[in-house]
Amino acid sequence: MMDLFNRFFGNRGGGARSKDEAKQRLKFLLIHDQVDLTPAQLETMKNEILAVIGKYVEIDADSTEFKLERDDHCIALVSSVPVRRVVERPASAPMPAAEAEAAPAV
Amino acid sequence: MSECIVITSGKGGVGKTTTTANLGVALAQQGRSVVVVDADIGLRNLDVILGLENRIVYDLVHVIEGTCRLKQALIRDKRLENLSLLPAAQTRDKNAVTPDQMRELIAQIKGVADYVLVDCPAGIEQGFKNAVAGADRAIIVTTPEVSAIRDADRIIGMVEAAELPEPQLIINRFRAKMVERGDMMNKDDILEILAIPLIGVVPDHEDIIVSANRGMPVAFDDNSIVGEAYRRIGRRLAGEPDVPMLDLSTPDDLWTTVKRWMGMAPAREVAR
Repeated sequence: MMDLFNRFFGNRGGGARSKDEAKQRLKFLLIHDQVDLTPAQLETMKNEILAVIGKYVEIDADSTEFKLERDDHCIALVSSVPVRRVVERPASAPMPAAEAEAAPAV
Repeated sequence: MSECIVITSGKGGVGKTTTTANLGVALAQQGRSVVVVDADIGLRNLDVILGLENRIVYDLVHVIEGTCRLKQALIRDKRLENLSLLPAAQTRDKNAVTPDQMRELIAQIKGVADYVLVDCPAGIEQGFKNAVAGADRAIIVTTPEVSAIRDADRIIGMVEAAELPEPQLIINRFRAKMVERGDMMNKDDILEILAIPLIGVVPDHEDIIVSANRGMPVAFDDNSIVGEAYRRIGRRLAGEPDVPMLDLSTPDDLWTTVKRWMGMAPAREVAR
């Protein structure tokens, strides 16, 4: 009954609004227009970064997160790398931070 | 002090030429002397939008090559004595002119006008470089569509690379009804992505087609809401930044009122 009512009055209820889709697609597009990396290259970069971090700390590889984010006209690589424990190492070496936030400006 | 403003967008067909013509009219109505320059060499159109196509003798390339003087090429609009057009050449291409020559030409035009508005061709190549060469600042025109906004973003980067100050944005072809039902990005969605100041929103309206048919820019029409949108942008452009934005929201129809009363209509998007 409600459905019929809604259809009759052209109410789409809380369904997906096409403008949200437009906005999401745009955000993705603009990041990839600026950062000219293929998904394969991004994956390689992620693996190399994780390998470096892995030299210092033992990480939870399954719950790492790497994403490109855009703020005004600046793009940042935001990563979250959960650390399980520190790898045994000589006392003189610097200790890395538990949560890495790398932000190379593009 | 004279100023040169380039109207650009990246993508074609978003309304650069219509915007240039109407802002030219709006500024001239305020008593400023205005020259609108068609920088789209090979594809001239500003003359048609202004209804001045039958009066062209010389064009921009003739002035640059010294075939005629600037004054001979300028076409004075009979409806507004302080508005003139410098048409583009139709039989040449964009490589007929260099950025240095444009810079020199714009400097010369600034000597005879308060405002020089340059209608930039679509694209990011030579035509764009020529059009921004003599400009003091830029206005970006976009429509609430993914492709137009993507290109606008690219052009904003190029305007900054050309060392112009931060450009201002005009959102064209805005459809309040679609925004209200969530099927068109609203002003804030677009500003969040492009992150430059807004100078005006122009509604999508049949008046634009009619005015183009007649060669009579809609800013001449006191009764048109689109004309009013352009006139307000013209005032903001000329140093009145606080002129209020037009209220473009549509009144609720009977059924929406009933649904809202029954708590069944979705939350309303603000379409200002």
